[in-house]
Amino acid sequence: MSLLELKNISKIYGELKALDNVNIHVDQGEWVAIMGPSGSGKSTMMNIIGCMDKPTLGEVLLDGVDIAKESSKKLTDIRRDKIGLIFQQFHMVNYLTAVENVMVSQYYHSMPDEKEALDALGRVGLRERAHHLPSQLSGGEQQRVCVARALINHPELILADEPTGNLDEANENIVLDLFAQLHAEGTTLIVVTHDPEVADAAQRTIVLEHGKVAREVINENFEAQQKEWLARLKG
Amino acid sequence: MTKRKMFLRMITASLLRRRSRMLVALLSIAIGAAILSGLVTIYYDVPRQMGAQFRNYGANMLLASSGEERMRMAAAQAALESIPEDKILGATPYRYVTVQMTRNQLSFVTAGTDFSQVQLTSPYFVVEGAYPSGSRQILLGKEVAETIGAKVNSVIELSYRPAETASAGSEIIPGVLLTGSAVGFNNNPVYVTLRVDEDLRITELTVNADTQTPEYGGQCAEPFFTQRFIGKQIPVTLNEDVDAVTGATMTSQAVTDAINHSGAAETPAAAGSSLNMTVAGILDTGGKEESYIFMSQEDLTALTGEQDQIDVMELSVSASSDELAEYIDAINGNQKDVTARLVKRITNSETAVLSKLQSLVFLVTAVVLVLTMICVSTTMMAVVTERRKEIGLRKALGASDSSIRTEFLGEGMFLGLLGGLLGGLLGFGFAQIVSVNVFGSSIQLQPLLLPVAIIVSMAIAALSCLLPIKRAVAIDPALVLKGE
Ligand SMILES: Nc1ncnc2c1ncn2[C@@H]1O[C@H](COP(=O)(O)OP(=O)(O)OP(=O)(O)O)[C@@H](O)[C@H]1O
Ligand SMILES: [Mg+2]
Repeated sequence: MSLLELKNISKIYGELKALDNVNIHVDQGEWVAIMGPSGSGKSTMMNIIGCMDKPTLGEVLLDGVDIAKESSKKLTDIRRDKIGLIFQQFHMVNYLTAVENVMVSQYYHSMPDEKEALDALGRVGLRERAHHLPSQLSGGEQQRVCVARALINHPELILADEPTGNLDEANENIVLDLFAQLHAEGTTLIVVTHDPEVADAAQRTIVLEHGKVAREVINENFEAQQKEWLARLKG
Repeated sequence: MTKRKMFLRMITASLLRRRSRMLVALLSIAIGAAILSGLVTIYYDVPRQMGAQFRNYGANMLLASSGEERMRMAAAQAALESIPEDKILGATPYRYVTVQMTRNQLSFVTAGTDFSQVQLTSPYFVVEGAYPSGSRQILLGKEVAETIGAKVNSVIELSYRPAETASAGSEIIPGVLLTGSAVGFNNNPVYVTLRVDEDLRITELTVNADTQTPEYGGQCAEPFFTQRFIGKQIPVTLNEDVDAVTGATMTSQAVTDAINHSGAAETPAAAGSSLNMTVAGILDTGGKEESYIFMSQEDLTALTGEQDQIDVMELSVSASSDELAEYIDAINGNQKDVTARLVKRITNSETAVLSKLQSLVFLVTAVVLVLTMICVSTTMMAVVTERRKEIGLRKALGASDSSIRTEFLGEGMFLGLLGGLLGGLLGFGFAQIVSVNVFGSSIQLQPLLLPVAIIVSMAIAALSCLLPIKRAVAIDPALVLKGE
């Protein structure tokens, strides 16, 4: 079943076409990677899918609703209810502790629940660091808090823009493990990355160039990878 | 956890963990609130303080006889019953007689009074040495002391003859200080001191018309009138040599009579009694008192033999002008022998100064509030700029515009609450210090002061946040995806 459909999307800044007639289709539960050189329009596309920006032309159907036509207030509601965001810069509110940062997301969504927030931190392996301020956490740990924050409200779609861009190998693997787990639970994932290893973890990779879809690569090994991953998790 | 709890947790965390920036805003609100509450406290307390203060600069009520007889001390005391006791700061009796110095035969106006009260009704008197504290001690006016070359601790023999003999047997001697008295309006006496040259032309003249109505007869003591006599030859005729004061013919006539009958009589002390007196202090007032001699009522009685008689009683009453008028009506209604009068000039200027002071306080308060608002607004603006990313992040996480607005307003109001509380207390302390140092008395905490300071501070803080909030709401959530 289709969750997201971009139909003839263009985003034009003056002379520059950041996105140029893009068509993309993402199914419910799919794990898609987006690659492309710098300036090819990846973040622009993520902003549009994440309801933070509108395309100049075209339709964006999220759960059958054309978000290109909604008011910004309605977009805020959709973003809050359906989408979890993870950023390269692992943005945290710097005067709130890890668990409070997770609770901020709950606060805007529905009700803050400290126990649930602590469980989410436990899931990313940071139960012990819950009451530390961002300045007391490493980059990798901050990014894991952001993952916990993105999944706390059980979004249908997780959008991650370069989630591993600033992480070392070990932390990158932790994040990829979490993605695999979320995928196994049925969450749809769209991950922008420059890192071929991160792209290879996904089911499908869409490559953007100059604002256009240059090609799509299906990961034939995906089923095998998942099995291997599950086995590793159990063993 | 409820949403409200989380809200409070977020804003307190923001204030407590981002201390330095918020401290500036908190401080400016606290200072604003301090000045506000300090000024308001002083504003409400100043009329009371100033009232007492002004009364310190002299009497504001005068009692005199209303009949032919001289006023009795007992009658004056009875009149005082019409005024609540705690409102009377001081009540000073004065009996004026002319007394001679045995050694050089010079005459001076001498006042018998109560020195403990003089210090209350005339606190501006400057005394070199000390006020007389025992019997047979006198206070010399500076001019008298200079005339006779007396110093503190000098011993002077004073003698007294009844007024009629003094006038009758007196002789006008050029160059020496002459004194005289005559009956003016309502049978109350007027006293003069003067000097004349060889041709008996007047060269100096001072008039004591304290027993007369201030607006009318009292004017005869003013320089504009006394100047008219300078250069005139004794005897002087009223309305020929000099013009009378309009509406005060009787007093003007009395002054003229007193001058014509003045003298530095050489009549020996045998006609009355005489006493040796020690100069306890020398009085410097810059006014007519400098030409008088002051002694206690007991000493004056010993000298003159007369008992219990006074010319005027000066009162210093701590009351509003309405209350004063009420007391005066009561005295004039109840006491047939005593007339009470307002010493108007002081009370009027008191009111004028007060209203000026109060508008000044208003102005300063308004300016301080505006300055506080500018300062808080600037700080909050900087805070919004500093927290652009955080605000973008909150929006990306699903915060609506109204949540952002509420959060910033919440922080602002919380600052207002803290600043108002802190400033309110500081301001009261500041007012207390000012009051103790300037007025020498402490003030009571107005129960409404703190709540008002807090509410005003919160309102100011909220107003100051409006523009910064507008800017915060306009921040684009997409900026969090930009690799900045
Ligand atoms: N607000 C804007 N105004 C004008 N041009 C913009 C704006 N935002 C993005 N662009 C331009 O659109 C193009 C696509 O930008 P985008 O941020 O989507 O690139 P990207 O693929 O995410 O690159 P990177 O890998 O470096 O993050 C760039 O050339 C960029 O300069
Ligand atoms: Mg980008």
